[in-house]
Parts: sequence; C-alpha cells; structure tokens
Amino acid sequence: MNAVNPGRKLALAGQALLLILLYLFLYFPIFYIMYLSFVENTVWPFPPEYTLEHYINLLTLDNFHQGLVNSLIIGIGTGLLSTLFATMAAIGLLKYQSRWRGLLMIFYLAPLFVAHILIGISSLIFNKAILGLPGNLLSAIIANATYATAFAFLVIVAQLARYDWRLDDVAMVFGATPAKTFREVTLPNIWPAIFGGFFVGFILAFNNLEISFYNLGAIPTLPTIAWGTLRHGIKPELYALASIVNAFIFLILIILYFLLKMGFLKLDIKDR
Amino acid sequence: MLFFFVLPLLTTVVISFWRTESYTIIHDWNIDNYVVLLTKHTYLVFLGRSILMATAVTLISLIYSWPIAYFIAYAGGRYKLVLVLLTSAPFFTGIILRVTALQQIFGPIGIINTALINLGLKPINAFMYSNFASGMGLVYLWIPFMILAIYLSLLNFNFDLLEVAKVNGASPIKAFFEVTLPLNWIGTAVGIVLVFVPTLAASITPRFLGGVNGALFGNILAHQFGATGTWALGSAMGVVLFFVSIIAIFLVWKTVDLRRSGFTGGDI
Repeated sequence: MNAVNPGRKLALAGQALLLILLYLFLYFPIFYIMYLSFVENTVWPFPPEYTLEHYINLLTLDNFHQGLVNSLIIGIGTGLLSTLFATMAAIGLLKYQSRWRGLLMIFYLAPLFVAHILIGISSLIFNKAILGLPGNLLSAIIANATYATAFAFLVIVAQLARYDWRLDDVAMVFGATPAKTFREVTLPNIWPAIFGGFFVGFILAFNNLEISFYNLGAIPTLPTIAWGTLRHGIKPELYALASIVNAFIFLILIILYFLLKMGFLKLDIKDR
Repeated sequence: MLFFFVLPLLTTVVISFWRTESYTIIHDWNIDNYVVLLTKHTYLVFLGRSILMATAVTLISLIYSWPIAYFIAYAGGRYKLVLVLLTSAPFFTGIILRVTALQQIFGPIGIINTALINLGLKPINAFMYSNFASGMGLVYLWIPFMILAIYLSLLNFNFDLLEVAKVNGASPIKAFFEVTLPLNWIGTAVGIVLVFVPTLAASITPRFLGGVNGALFGNILAHQFGATGTWALGSAMGVVLFFVSIIAIFLVWKTVDLRRSGFTGGDI
C-alpha cells in the first residue's frame, strides 16, 4: 500500500499506544468493580478474601426484584417502540425520494442533541401539568423511546443504506401485495438491522437513569436503585449489581456483534 | 415523535413563564424566572462553570479521540469493527454504574489514593471530589461518541489523498491540517456537539465526583425538580440550557463548510 517510513511507523506505534491506554482507562474501572464484587475487603483488596456475600445481599435487597422487572419492562417496551418508529422512519426515508429528506433526517436525529435531563423533565412536566397523568412505566417507556428511536434509527439506516429496494419492486411486479412484499422480501433481508436497533434501544432504556427517574416517581428500576445506594455511600451490593448488569450487557453486545457480521454478510451477498 | 418529543419541550418553555408556589404551578405569565436566572450571581456562576467544564471536556475528548479514530480507520484492517466497538461498549453499561466504577478508581478512597496511603505517600488531592475528578469522569463517559463520530467520517476518507499531498511537498502536519481535518470536519463537528451537549447538562457525574465547588448547572436544575419543587424556575433553567446548547450547535455548524468537506449532497 504505502511505503512505510520510520517516522510514520513511530507515529502509528504512538497511536496504538494511545488506543491501549484508552482501553485501559475505559475497562479498568469496570473490571475492577467485578473483582471487588467477589471480595470481602473492598477498600484495599490485596490480598483478596473471596466471598459471594455481596451477591446474596443483593438478591435479598427489598426492591431489587421489582427494579429488575421494571427495568426489563422499560427496556423491552422502549426497544419495541423505538424499533417500530425507527424502522418505519428508515424505510420511508431510504425508499422514497423526497426533498424533505434532509430535514426529516435532522428531525429524527434531533433527540441525540438534547440532554437526557431535559427530555426527562420536559416529559414529566408534559405528562403531569398538561395531560394530568401520574408518572408510570408507560410514560417512562415513551420518554425513553424519544432518544432511543434516534439511536435505533442510526443503526438501522446505516445498514439499510445498502439494501436494494428494487427487490421490492420485483416482488410487486410478480403480484405480491405491499404487505406480502414486506413480510416475505424486505423483512427477511433487513431483520439483522432491526434486531440491532431493538437491542440498542433496549440497552439504553434499561440503563437510563435521568429520563426514567423523572417519569417514574417512586417506582424503582435498577438504575434508580443503584443511584439511591450510591447516594447513601457505596455499598458492596452495588458492585455485584454493576457486575451482573455489565456482564449481561457485554453478552448482548457480543451477540449483537455477530448478528451485525451476519447482517453485513447477507447484504453483501445480495449486492453482487 | 412530534407528540412525545417536541410537545413536552414546548410545554417546558411555557411553564418557564409561569411560577410555582408551594409545589403547585400557577398559570400567571411573567418573566421573573428569567430575571432571577440572569441577575442572581449564583446561577450565572453555575452556568459559566458548566460551559467552561463542557468546553474543557470537549477539547480533551477531541484531542484524544483524533489519533485513536485515525489509527483504527487507517491501520485497523479487518479488526476495525471490533476495535471501534470496544471503545463504545462501556457506553452501554449505563451512566450510574460507570460513575460507581470511576469512584472506586479516582475517588477519595479509590484504589489510587489508597495505594498511595498504603505506600506512606500523600493522597492526590485532585481525586478528592474536585472539578478535575468530575471532568475526568465526563471524558470517561462521553469520549466514545467523539471517537465514533470521527471514525465514521474517516471510514469514507480516501487516505491516498495524503500521498498526493506528500508528493506535492506537504509535511505530515500540514497535510493533516489542510487535507485530513477539513475533509473530516463534519464528523468532528458532530462529535463535538455530541460531547458538549450532555456534558453541559451533566448532573450525576459532578454530584458524585465533584466537590463542594463542583456543583454544575445540571445539579441545581435537577434540584428544582427534586427537593425544592420549583418547577417553573427549573423549566426556565432547562430553557436556558437548551438555548446554550442550540447556540453551541449553531457555532459549530457555522464552521462547517459543505463544499470543503467533500459533501456531495446525494449520499444519505
């Protein structure tokens, strides 16, 4: 490719070093917490005294189960809602030419540029003061879906950009109804993208504190429990909670990664 | 989307012109909230501190992200996707859990200071609930966005252009500032905004990592909806925050020159 001279080699090595430092910076705290969740002496854990006590304490915590269930409900609800919106938006935007394309794109992505705390308080105000609704899981799902849709939209658009819409036309020419075309041609081809969008929405909402908190009031979720615990000084149960959630999320990301790879593969084969 | 995103924001604007008395909102048009915000010294200090913090965090992220994104895009080869996903994976584990983890490293009794004490040295004061600590926390939280934005831009960048620049006698530094940076400025600008906006509104990180002087605008904003129940004032603060974000986005957008950034208009 390029003739590699010593100066460039040095620069690349320097950059690689920076990348490694970044990974250390990003992952050391996460893995350190996992380590702490298994040891008795959390302040200075050398040498470690291993224990599972924190996990047992966590499981017996009052509202832990309810928080977990609520977080899952919010995550799945937001995931479904935002995937639905994002898929419709992405297909509409990519399939049909429109001179509003740029404007619509900006509109769908706008929630990315608004701070979470603002989305949280504004939907709280809207629900309570205007609609007169109390905070509940549904309003939290809807509020989370505003920005989760933007993320899901990004993921889906990035992949659908490579989809050949002429396939749909072919199906239509051969007499398929629009619904049948979508079910039998479009969907099988784009499902990895949709799946990716769902997972992104799910993870974001599952972990969200600022938006959920303002919409839920006293209803616990895992992040609000974590927040409450953190406020009253760190308790080792929090390490256990963080480790479980982190492990769970990394697992999802690994699955997602392979799905993405599969998704790309599928779309690539079709390109030929 | 229109209903659940735009309408709540508009409601916030409306309420910011009302007032709250003993936890109820009174429909009484006035601009007192804004007068308070713009004349009371404390609010301006908080706002200024937030803007300063957000600028610093954005700059640090920017400077650190560029070589990393460049390296992944240029030398990543077939591992590009894994490398870049590894930088953004921590983002998905949630703010609160990441702050918890950070406290264990950089907090007053985090591993670094405990190690120093155990070795008989003085603990580092900067880690004891300071603006430095919360700044570092914010970089930790939001740098993935910056890397991702620059990386995505660099993916579409033709590195052969640099060879052309070199053949024509440009030094590497000159080639970077005259070719690479301008051609990838949109991605960089998006990254800047994506880091600046959430940092400006940060309320959790400074609360747990910042010190007595560490409270930022986001903290007192959150406070209005929690303890004091002064929603109208809080709404006004939200509006102020929103406008500062918009101004920042506008300023960044002004620097984008579509013709120079290789924008063809058609793609996406």
